Amino acid sequence: MTQSSETTAEQSIIDLDSVESGTSLWEDAWNRLQQNKLAMFGLYVVSFMIIIALLTPWITPYSYFEQDLDLGATAPSAAHWLGTDTLGRDLLTRIMYGSRISLMVGFLATAVALSIGVLWGTVSGYFGGRVDAFMMRTVDILYALPFTIFIILLMVVFGRNILLLFMAIGAVEWLTMARIVRGQVLSIRQQEYIDAAITMGLPKRQIMLRHVIPNTLGTIIIYVTLTIPNVILLESFLSFLGLGVQPPQSSWGLLISYGVETMEEYPWLLIFPAVVLSVTLFSLNFLGDGLRDALDPKASRD
Amino acid sequence: MNKAMKCTAGTAEQYVLLQVNNLVKHYDSRSGLWGKITGNPGSLVQAVDGVSLTINRGETLGLIGESGCGKSTLGRAILRLHEPTSGSVTFDGTDVTKLDADSLKKMRRRMQIIFQDPYASLNPRKTIEDIIGTALRLQGVAKSSDIRGCVTQLLENVGLKPDHMTRFPHQFSGGQRQRIGIARALALNPEFIVCDEPVSALDVSIQAQVIQLLDDLKRELGLTYLFISHDISVIGYISDHIAVMYLGDIVETGPTKQILTDPQHPYTQALLSAVPRVDGSGTGDRVKLTGDLPSPINPPKGCKFHTRCPYAKDECQLKKPEHHELKNGLTVACHLVTGN
Repeated sequence: MTQSSETTAEQSIIDLDSVESGTSLWEDAWNRLQQNKLAMFGLYVVSFMIIIALLTPWITPYSYFEQDLDLGATAPSAAHWLGTDTLGRDLLTRIMYGSRISLMVGFLATAVALSIGVLWGTVSGYFGGRVDAFMMRTVDILYALPFTIFIILLMVVFGRNILLLFMAIGAVEWLTMARIVRGQVLSIRQQEYIDAAITMGLPKRQIMLRHVIPNTLGTIIIYVTLTIPNVILLESFLSFLGLGVQPPQSSWGLLISYGVETMEEYPWLLIFPAVVLSVTLFSLNFLGDGLRDALDPKASRD
Repeated sequence: MNKAMKCTAGTAEQYVLLQVNNLVKHYDSRSGLWGKITGNPGSLVQAVDGVSLTINRGETLGLIGESGCGKSTLGRAILRLHEPTSGSVTFDGTDVTKLDADSLKKMRRRMQIIFQDPYASLNPRKTIEDIIGTALRLQGVAKSSDIRGCVTQLLENVGLKPDHMTRFPHQFSGGQRQRIGIARALALNPEFIVCDEPVSALDVSIQAQVIQLLDDLKRELGLTYLFISHDISVIGYISDHIAVMYLGDIVETGPTKQILTDPQHPYTQALLSAVPRVDGSGTGDRVKLTGDLPSPINPPKGCKFHTRCPYAKDECQLKKPEHHELKNGLTVACHLVTGN
C-alpha cells in the first residue's frame, strides 16, 4: 500500500519534469493526436479523400457525363473497377467527382456555420442582458422558418447555384452552433480567470478571443464533426428533391439515391457510394473525437 | 519587480489609500417584462448595504464575516468587477466609480485581486508564461525576452521555479496555483490587492505558507491589502485593522489587537468565542448564536443582527444603529454600546 503510493508520487514528479520542454498548445495537441491510432486513421482517410477529390480530373480516364448506352449497367470489372451505372458511366469516376461536391459542401457549409455561430454565440453569451435577448430571439425566429421552403425561396430568387447551396445550408446550421456556443460561454463567463482578465484591463475583444473561445473548442470540435456529415446528408436530400446538384453532375447523396432505385438489379450502384460515404463519416467522427481529446491540456497526463 | 521595490517600499507614511463611502450593491430581479406580466415582484438582494471603510497605504484591512454576508461582493464592487449600485470608492484621490472605461483600465492596473478558487482562476488552456505574460504585455513590457525574464523573476518571488513557466495550470497543486495567481496579480505592479479568501480552499499546512508569502510580499513591495476571510485566526495574523461584516453591513471596525482582545459588538464577541481552543479555556462564557443568517433579500428591520442577538432590546428592532467611535479605537454600530 505504502509502496504503491510512493511510486505514484514518484511517477507524478517524473511526469512533471518531462513536460519541461517548451511545447505550445498545438505542438502538444499534435503529439497527443499521433498517439491516438483511431484518430490518425481518421486523419489519413479524410486526407486521402480530399487529395483524391482534388486530383480527380487528372487521374481518371473516364468522364463523369459521357454515356455508353450500349454498355449499360455492368458489374465491377478490370476496365470499370466499381462497375458502370444504367447509362454506362463509370461508377468510380462518378464517386470521385461526387466527392468533390460532397466534401466541398460539407467543409464550406460547416465553415460558414462555424464562423457565424461561434461569433454570434460568443458575443451573445458574453455580453448577456438585452444584447443576449435580442440575438437569441433572432436565432429563435430563424429556427422557426421551415428549412425546405427557405431553400426553395432562395433558389427562386437567386437561381440555382452551388455556392448558394453552401450559404443556405450554412445559414441554417449556424443557429444550433450559436446556441451551443452561447451555453458554453455563459458558464465560462462565470469563471474567475475571466474576472482576472477584466481586472488586468484586457479589452473585451481579447478576453473573448484569448480566454472564452479557446475554452469552447472541445464542444465546437465535437459539434463540427457532427455537422459535416449532417451537411453532406442534407445536400443529398436537397439534390434528391431536385434543389441541389443536378445530373449529370454527381454527389454522394445523389449517387446513393439513384442506387436505391435500382438496388435489386444492380446492388453495386448503392453499395459502393454508401460505403465511401460511411467510411468518410466514420473517419470524421474518429478524427473529431481525437482532436477534442488532444486539444484538452488536462488529458496530457493520462 | 526590483523597480517596484524602489518605487513603493518604505513609503509607510500614514495616509489613506482607499476610502469606501456608503457603498451599496443590490442585485435586482424585480424589473423585466416577465415580472410585469405575472405581477411577480421578484426580489432585491441587498448584498452590500451602505458600507464605509478606510484603508491606509501599506496596511492590511481584514474583512471577516459569515458565508453569504457580502464580503466577496464588497471586494468585487470596490474593483468594479461588479458595478456598485451607489456610493463611492476613492482610490488615491480618484473616485473609481465615476471613471470612464479608459481611465478605469489604467486604474485597474493599480488594483488587483487574488481569487479564492485556485482552480477556476487560471485559464486551463494557457501556460503559466502566457498567464503572467499577458499582464506584463499590458503593462508595456514588449519584448518577449524581457517577458521571459520578468516571468522568471515573478515566479521566483512567489516561490516557484522558473522552469515551471511552460506548464499548464492543471499540472500544479492548489497551493502552487495560488502562488501563480499571486504572481499574476503582482505582474501589473499594483499598489492595492483584494485578497478574496485566498487560502480558504487550501490545506491548512499550505495556508500558512501562502499567508507568509503574502505577508512578506506586502512588506517588500509596500502593498496594501483588503484581506477577506471567514477564518479569524488567518485574519488576526495578517491584518493591521479588522472590519466585521454582517449581512451587508460593517458592524465593527478597529485595530486588530482591540478587536481580538476586547470586542464590543455582540456579533464580534460571538465570532471570537466560536473559535475552538485547544486548552479548553474560554468555553464557559461562550456567546452562542441561534438561528441562521437571515436572507439578504428581506433583511431584518432596525439592527440587522437583532434576530440573533442575545442582548436585543425593543429599540434594536426599530432603529438602525449608527456607527460611533469608542475610546479604545473601535468603531461599533450597536445600540447597546454607547462608549460613554
